[in-house]
Amino acid sequence: MQINMIQAILLGLCACLSSMPGLGGTTFGNYTLGRPLVAGMVVGLILGDMQTGIILGAAIQVIYIALVTPGGTVSADVRAISYIGIPLSVCAIKGMGLDPSSSAARDMAAALGAAVGTLGTVLFYGTATVNLLWQHIGWKAVEKGDFKKLYLVNMGFPWISHFLCSFLPTVIITMAGSSMVDLMKAYLPMDGVAMKTLFTVGSLLPAVGVAILLKQVINKSLDFLTFFFGFTLAACMGVNLIGAAAIGGFFAVTNYKIQMLKLRPAVAGAAAYDDEEEDI
Amino acid sequence: MKKLSKKTLNKSFLSWFYGNLTCFSQEHMQTFGYLCSMLPVVDELYDTQEEKKDAMQTYTAFFNTEPQIGTLVVGMTAGLEEAKANGEALDGETINGIRAGLMGPLAGIGDSLIVGTLIPILLGIGLGLSGNGSPLGAIFYIVTWNLLMFFGMKFAYFKGYEMGGKAVELLVGEQAQALRDSIIMIGTMVIGAVAASWINVTTSFAIPGVIELQSTLDSVYPKLLSAGTVIFCWWLMTKRKISPTMVMLLLVVIAFVGVLLGFFDPGLSY
Repeated sequence: MQINMIQAILLGLCACLSSMPGLGGTTFGNYTLGRPLVAGMVVGLILGDMQTGIILGAAIQVIYIALVTPGGTVSADVRAISYIGIPLSVCAIKGMGLDPSSSAARDMAAALGAAVGTLGTVLFYGTATVNLLWQHIGWKAVEKGDFKKLYLVNMGFPWISHFLCSFLPTVIITMAGSSMVDLMKAYLPMDGVAMKTLFTVGSLLPAVGVAILLKQVINKSLDFLTFFFGFTLAACMGVNLIGAAAIGGFFAVTNYKIQMLKLRPAVAGAAAYDDEEEDI
Repeated sequence: MKKLSKKTLNKSFLSWFYGNLTCFSQEHMQTFGYLCSMLPVVDELYDTQEEKKDAMQTYTAFFNTEPQIGTLVVGMTAGLEEAKANGEALDGETINGIRAGLMGPLAGIGDSLIVGTLIPILLGIGLGLSGNGSPLGAIFYIVTWNLLMFFGMKFAYFKGYEMGGKAVELLVGEQAQALRDSIIMIGTMVIGAVAASWINVTTSFAIPGVIELQSTLDSVYPKLLSAGTVIFCWWLMTKRKISPTMVMLLLVVIAFVGVLLGFFDPGLSY
């Protein structure tokens, strides 16, 4: 399967919008377009096979379910994961004739997506470095009191950084990468150690994503019980994710009411809950 | 008495909503986003160019926090700037002190509550809906996340503007703490379910006629190896302080050795 020029350009544009300091803005760019689940749909539409795109995007999403960038350090770059990794996975899986809904296809996508995402951190630091130029112009403008220029510095000039560090790499890599699959097929047999390792790594990687999240939310070892409650619901009892969220919601409300009773015995838990909910 | 118009506040909010990180650099992360969102405010409050320059100077200081929850700070400073323009005993340095004091705590709350809990819950549900390739989950995530954030951030901006310092109590008070803990509880449970549904570590290790390891493990606790892998990665990151990238590389080594020993075998062919 080949990716043509127009498709590559569209992928490149999405990469500009969706990266961490992206031009789609934090909420819609980074946290919406950049999430592999959403990107899977977008890439699928661009490449003309939405279902495959979504399945592979979802598989990669698990690894990056809690991609936190505290203090602006990144361990993986979403534009690379989503708009280079997913298209290459789609090509690889089609080229190898794997069934997109098989676990092998998902493992392959996970391994490819993570590799590309890790290498993609270069793009993140590249963009941030080129932006220093525009900020330099910005400081001069502040000094002179030429404030209108700030909008250009903040929202206009960074397009140049993204042309260099998001658009060009995406276009070049996706166009060149799609023909790599045949080479891979010729030189790396599926039952060889290299490919076996690749698929195995793909099956192990989602654990890293979940572990990153646990690092965030688990403060004491007792919190593991909550995690294993959810795990058991799905693994032993076959509850799906929406069901798990509903059960979690029930326990959260119960917990909140108990906590509030401890704080102020007279407070009506339900009313206070509604008031506070909008703060999220 | 100067009063900021609704239009100016909206313009300031939208400028932050979109542009909080568009011109990011390692040196000045959200500073330019902040400058741009304060521009309409300063423009309306002060008449002379000198006063404007003076006021803008305050916001050239470094700023970085979780940008979505940090909207509260931007709203607060709009309120503070208004008070300053009306002659209250406030100077740029005081405003900057308040800003700097809030960056850290809000980043902590935002990272754990929004990025570490809300997004995984929404994505978890989205994954559940999209696992078979249906666009439903992706669309669910796009709609709920963007609506929640747009109106949530707008609420935070205007609460910050109206309530000033008191707005912070909404986030750090005891009641807020109880609410946060409860929301994180949902998140932890959902992520447990995500782990069980999406991680599939299996072994091919078997001694014919004696033991088939995978089915033995399954009869103990389904997905035991998947759970074990998660705990192992968590242990490496928190107890051994190894970075996620290094953990991934370590997994490559483990996979390679495991394949050589016959512990892992995806069993595929072209």
